[in-house]
Amino acid sequence: MLKTRVVPTLLHKGWGLVKGIKFDSLRAVGSPMQAIKVYNLRNVDELVFLDVTATTEDRGPDFSLVDELADECFMPLAVGGGIRTVEDVRKLLSVGADKVVIGSAAIEDPGIVRLASDRFGAQCVVVSIDTVGSDVWIRSGTTRTNYNAVEMAREMERLGAGEILLQSIERDGVMQGYDVETIAGVSGAVSIPVVASGGAGTFAHMLDALRDGGASAVAAASMFHFTEQTPMEAKQFLAAAGVPTRV
Amino acid sequence: MSEYDGVETATRALIHTRSPEPKPIVYCRSCLIPETKPDIFFDEDGMCSACRHYDGRDDVDWAARRVELEAVLERYRSKDGTTYDCVIGVSGGKDSTTQVIRMLELGMNPLCVTATTDELSDIGRRNIENLKGLGVDFLEYTTNPIVRRRVNKLALVQVGDISWPEHVTIFTLPVRIAVQMRIKLIVWGENPQNEYGGPAAAATGNTLTRRWLEEFGGLLGLRVTDLVGQEDIEPRHLIPYTYPDDDDLARVGVTGIFLGYYMPWDGLQNAIFAQSYGFETWPQTIEGSLCNYENLDNHQTGIHDYFKYLKYGFGRATDIASMHVRRGRLRREDALKLVRLHDGKFPWTYLGKSIHDVLENIDMTFDEFIDVCDRFTNKRLFVTDRHGELARGADQHLTKINDDNPE
Amino acid sequence: MKQRVAIVDYGLCNLDSVRRAFETLGAQAFVTDLPSDLEYADRIVLPGVGAFPDAMRNLRGRGLDDALGMQVLEEGAPFLGVCLGMQLMADLGHEVEDTKGLAWLSSQVTRLVPTATDRRVPHIGWNEVRPARESPLFAGIPPSADFYFVHSFHVACAHDEDVLATTPYCGGFASAVQRDNVFGVQFHPEKSQQYGLRLLKNFLSV
Repeated sequence: MLKTRVVPTLLHKGWGLVKGIKFDSLRAVGSPMQAIKVYNLRNVDELVFLDVTATTEDRGPDFSLVDELADECFMPLAVGGGIRTVEDVRKLLSVGADKVVIGSAAIEDPGIVRLASDRFGAQCVVVSIDTVGSDVWIRSGTTRTNYNAVEMAREMERLGAGEILLQSIERDGVMQGYDVETIAGVSGAVSIPVVASGGAGTFAHMLDALRDGGASAVAAASMFHFTEQTPMEAKQFLAAAGVPTRV
Repeated sequence: MSEYDGVETATRALIHTRSPEPKPIVYCRSCLIPETKPDIFFDEDGMCSACRHYDGRDDVDWAARRVELEAVLERYRSKDGTTYDCVIGVSGGKDSTTQVIRMLELGMNPLCVTATTDELSDIGRRNIENLKGLGVDFLEYTTNPIVRRRVNKLALVQVGDISWPEHVTIFTLPVRIAVQMRIKLIVWGENPQNEYGGPAAAATGNTLTRRWLEEFGGLLGLRVTDLVGQEDIEPRHLIPYTYPDDDDLARVGVTGIFLGYYMPWDGLQNAIFAQSYGFETWPQTIEGSLCNYENLDNHQTGIHDYFKYLKYGFGRATDIASMHVRRGRLRREDALKLVRLHDGKFPWTYLGKSIHDVLENIDMTFDEFIDVCDRFTNKRLFVTDRHGELARGADQHLTKINDDNPE
Repeated sequence: MKQRVAIVDYGLCNLDSVRRAFETLGAQAFVTDLPSDLEYADRIVLPGVGAFPDAMRNLRGRGLDDALGMQVLEEGAPFLGVCLGMQLMADLGHEVEDTKGLAWLSSQVTRLVPTATDRRVPHIGWNEVRPARESPLFAGIPPSADFYFVHSFHVACAHDEDVLATTPYCGGFASAVQRDNVFGVQFHPEKSQQYGLRLLKNFLSV
């Protein structure tokens, strides 16, 4: 049976990795290379790498950095941040990303989702939906849209997205639990996998997102970055609770 | 086949040139610390959190803190002299020598614990002996050198920090000893966050918790358990690196304090103090540094400091210069000159020992070492040639894209 | 003697991970899009991420379809198709638009159909691969080991004997196929860590 994935997220800004609280007060936490190598040592299920200010700084992805990091990854890698064109998608896949995460562009230029999906396959295309409650915000949580998460998820599925990365802005970095209600709304509305993100502080939070929220995978950044809890321990906890995971 | 190689190189060059334009590194207006440093914040005036925090230090009532300290020590002092009053993790350096002197002044009976480095220098050995001679019971714990060298190498390759095992044992060994010998109080010197800023909660804290250790103790995300299975390392090899569990800590009631919270704590001041008590310094400025009075005990430190430079674009010279600038001992423009002379230079020697000897001890060739250097170098911080490769000088020295804010 | 493994580049995706995986295993892996290079290879790998029609267009455009047919079917070079690479061996693909494949195995590529318990497509994540019979490709790998899948389409084989392994998702589908020297895996061995590397190592000695 298909195993639930526990996915560490790396947020990159400027010169290195950052940790944020509610997509703000980004605090530099170190070199991406060493984080990737540690996760590689730990055989994690999958890794998400997001360049959090590419869009607000009006620039594209840093392909040479992704190239270097992908060289260290012997596990599936999803890369996002600043993707605006199909060419960006192609380049990221060619330097080593297995999937791309499209955020603001999915709202500002939804055609890119269809184009990328047709050309590279839906399974490569992850659309990230950042929410406050059920409202969708873009541009690293600085700009509100008129969409709600469920509508957007349905639309993105229709356009060919293969997966949704659902991130709660208000719970980001706070480690008080995921936004289970919104997750449940979105996962119930689509037939593509939904990855829950934003708010994980304990393994029990992850279980809630999976059981009550119906997510297919759980992502976490702050919770893992400071070494206190590892993805393997998370999976062991989930396995003991009856959730199929790869342990 | 060679046709393909050409295509691949051209494609890589193309990918490189289409990457975002490198913006200059921003430095603190007051000291020389760059924005790349983890856990540092810059405010709207361009001043870094370490400088801001240092300014805030003038407001501390040291007399009141001294009273607090005496109260804490009294609480933990042995009532009948059958157990030690505290554990002090020491290295023989300026800070630990000063800590011991201060504790003796305050009437404490400490057990000094040192986790000896694998590449202990002669001067480091002399300083340890000097510390013992101050009049303390001393426990010197050397870890299995065969395992230690494997871990040094593994940590260098995996997280770009050759000294990771030393960082770990500095914390774990005093705490393990405290638990085993039922000594409640551990006295450390400086809370790094007090000097270098960081999130407010940690900067004003005065006790050590496991959570603190893993968040700020410089473990770089690598856990002791990650080592098992690598290079034939088994759990039984890792006993000294293993932090006691929370139950044991709670059972004994182990807690830790930082002297740097209770008294003004400054590296140079401690060096002057300790020297009067026999602490020995290096005859010239230490390689990559601006001083001769710290990090005297480990020949691997040159490599350790170098990797900080590769990852974040600043090294020990910058740290020291910035500290002196904050305290008014150096003007920023002079500090910059000194940093340009010494910061981030390739560590051909450290305390006079050649890098080749150090690498041989951890079973690594020079070429392998350069490979690892490249892997961890944040290429956007340094000048590259037109192929996107790092431009290395004749002595392997790298050049940063800018070493100060543009005019 | 190091095995020379040719990794076929038909312009669609990253080949570095596959190449590095083989190099880690001690093979001499090279990436090529030149039909003429294929005859120097001891083994041939066709990886793939992307959509079926684009892939076939690119293969044909570079003359790789014929060259592969020659080296693999006629000369008998051991061949491994990965993910899309496995799908391309079919007669016909139904992704985006109906497209003819290499037609090496009687099969069609169709979309996974969600079921009550397996609601979500694409199939993304780690899932069990159950070999249908003994095979050198799965030597030393436990019978229900997890491998990493990321796909929406699957290969429906006309002949059961071509099915080397199945995975229980959306009613069950062929996750590995084999006929003589031709192997295909729907999952990504280069992303499947220890068992994936073991499978690739096994491929180097079939």
